[in-house]
Amino acid sequence: MRALIIFCHPKKDSFNAAVLDTVTDHLDKVGVEYRLRDLYRSNFMPVLTAHELDCYLDETCNADPVAQDVADVQWADALIFIYPTWWYGLPAMLKGWLDRVLLPGVAFIMPKGEGDNIQPGLTHIKRLGVFTTCGASWWLTTLIGAPGRRMLTRGVRAICAKRCRTVFAAHYLMDSSTDASRTRYLRTVAARMERLTA
Amino acid sequence: MTPAPTVPSTPQHALVLAAHPVPDSYNQALHARVVETLKGRGWSVDDCDLYAEGFSPVLTEQERRNYHETPDNVTPVKDYVDRLRAADALVMVFPVWNFGYPAMLKGFLDRVFLPGVSFKLDDGKVVPNLTRIRRLAAVTTYGGTRMRAMLCGDPPRKCVTRAVWHVCRPRTTKYLALYGMNKADDAKRRSFLSHVGEQLRTF
Repeated sequence: MRALIIFCHPKKDSFNAAVLDTVTDHLDKVGVEYRLRDLYRSNFMPVLTAHELDCYLDETCNADPVAQDVADVQWADALIFIYPTWWYGLPAMLKGWLDRVLLPGVAFIMPKGEGDNIQPGLTHIKRLGVFTTCGASWWLTTLIGAPGRRMLTRGVRAICAKRCRTVFAAHYLMDSSTDASRTRYLRTVAARMERLTA
Repeated sequence: MTPAPTVPSTPQHALVLAAHPVPDSYNQALHARVVETLKGRGWSVDDCDLYAEGFSPVLTEQERRNYHETPDNVTPVKDYVDRLRAADALVMVFPVWNFGYPAMLKGFLDRVFLPGVSFKLDDGKVVPNLTRIRRLAAVTTYGGTRMRAMLCGDPPRKCVTRAVWHVCRPRTTKYLALYGMNKADDAKRRSFLSHVGEQLRTF
């Protein structure tokens, strides 16, 4: 197993950083090789530009501006996302990573002819982990339809390998979290990671 | 006695948020149609093209630290907050990329829809705070099919009709989507363009 961790939080000392530590500790423990993409610390630019969109469908050069990210995605067979949920969705920083890196020829195989459909391009990804924190309650998030969770565990998962092993955990009501609830959540993350790497 | 004429709606002030990088794209044609239709109704339109204005969608570390510090949290995006607060109608025009808004538009929500602006926290509960907005619309294009979007739970539709709706509680909500853009021919595109015009004329 080779994991690519996509980590997205503006604060170095955030609780999300503790989630990241829990994930990497587990990977170290079980001896899984991983690469870490820390979007904020590396000043990732999330805005897909007009130029990128112009060559979006040209698979010979569309990946040039994000070559390292594409190489990381192609190297990995597991993707792990760690981020805070804002507005029931991914932070713009992380959404922009999807916009710019999950390209035709990388993540999608575009229709070639009449009646064809878009085909999955991440079929080498066999494991998917999603860990997030939400200000809203589980109830409100579910009522809204959990767009962030679904974007990853359904949208991205749909372009990964069939029966891609998927784990998800969220700490809801983050603004009224306590030491106990956070510790409990980190234990849940560790348990989900056990399942992901099993 | 002649029947009373149809009362035209009072002119409104609309904020149009557009998020497509290519000026001659189909999405920008939709954007232009939205703006001209609303102006044609005598509305004032604040045409906010996020790419053209060079909006930065990244919520910074400092903004995250001050996120709940009302009213100072609006300082870095004061102009955008004022423009949002002035609106009676909000129209979002965007392409769906990878099952969601472009980062540009998502960042507008992250940075401008702040506590004290779009919602208030009352005892941990979200209370809508953009209730001046009586009309909410989204005009969007999907590469994939409707079925494909539905299988993923159609996240962008839910973001608009539930998450943004929740803080505005508008009287009218419209979600106008063209699915299957990758295979849409000219006729289909033209027909959606005029559909958008018609829908916004009666919006």
